[in-house]
Amino acid sequence: MKRATRMKRVRPRRRSERRRLAARDQSLLDLVDNVLSKGVVVSGELLLGLANVDLIYLRLTALLCAADRVSPAARGWRGGRAALTR
Amino acid sequence: MTPLYLYALLGTAPPPGRWRGLRGEPLRFVRVAGLVLAAGPMSRAPGPSLNTLRRHDAVVRRLAGAVPAVLPARFGALVTDRAALAELIAPQAATLRRALAQVAGREQMTLRLYGSARRGEVNEAAVPLPAGPGTRYLASRGAATLRAQPDLARLRRTLAGLVRAERIEPSQTPPLLGSVYHLVDRGQRRAYQRALRRVTCQLADLRVVPSGPWTPYAFAPEPGG
Repeated sequence: MKRATRMKRVRPRRRSERRRLAARDQSLLDLVDNVLSKGVVVSGELLLGLANVDLIYLRLTALLCAADRVSPAARGWRGGRAALTR
Repeated sequence: MTPLYLYALLGTAPPPGRWRGLRGEPLRFVRVAGLVLAAGPMSRAPGPSLNTLRRHDAVVRRLAGAVPAVLPARFGALVTDRAALAELIAPQAATLRRALAQVAGREQMTLRLYGSARRGEVNEAAVPLPAGPGTRYLASRGAATLRAQPDLARLRRTLAGLVRAERIEPSQTPPLLGSVYHLVDRGQRRAYQRALRRVTCQLADLRVVPSGPWTPYAFAPEPGG
């Protein structure tokens, strides 16, 4: 009986945690999509202030990776050093 | 002379106040061809970190709270000086004025559409922008294909009364089928969300993830568009 009560308390917390994480991921996706790839471009992509648009996306891929998804390829952009450790 | 980092184009200058940019620099409101550009002196464009993206967006949001019409600049737009800014903006002034009129008193809601597409149905037609006329044709064909999806058609019918303008962009990365950007009147967000909740629980094949309100990033004119 005691155990059942504890389960009831835990489950909603986990669900809300999942919802909060999902909402945060979505918010990040939208932030990156809007601020980086939409909006007024005053003079083509070269005026982005960064030499190469692909480079921006490469760096952001690393930025948005979850820790458990960091692969050797993703670490490459930081000059071969491990970006994150598990 | 210090280069200028561009935040947004405005229909009118905001009321005097302590306007600051993403590095705390004082904002300047530069008038060019009847437009007001919000810019901050900055020697180098900021790097694309999550923190700087958030700060850029926060500056644009603050401006949007003070004036009715805002077209956000894409992150990283740096010009050498005021004269260079005028030279770049003047040829596009008419297009930008039309875009400002469209977004005046409005804000953007974004819908991400998830589901399974039949092979080749959407993704082969999806192409990145900016692009030439042929590429834009293919992109519009991709959007038309996505628009014909029965669930999306139903969703668009339900929201039609609240939507002032719409952009549909197919995605190349399943299960994201595409994104729909809606321009809605400020103050109509709750009505939009209510209508959206009503219709999304009736959809068979689409999962819709909404976000917003945003300043109208997706309604800025595309270069060459």
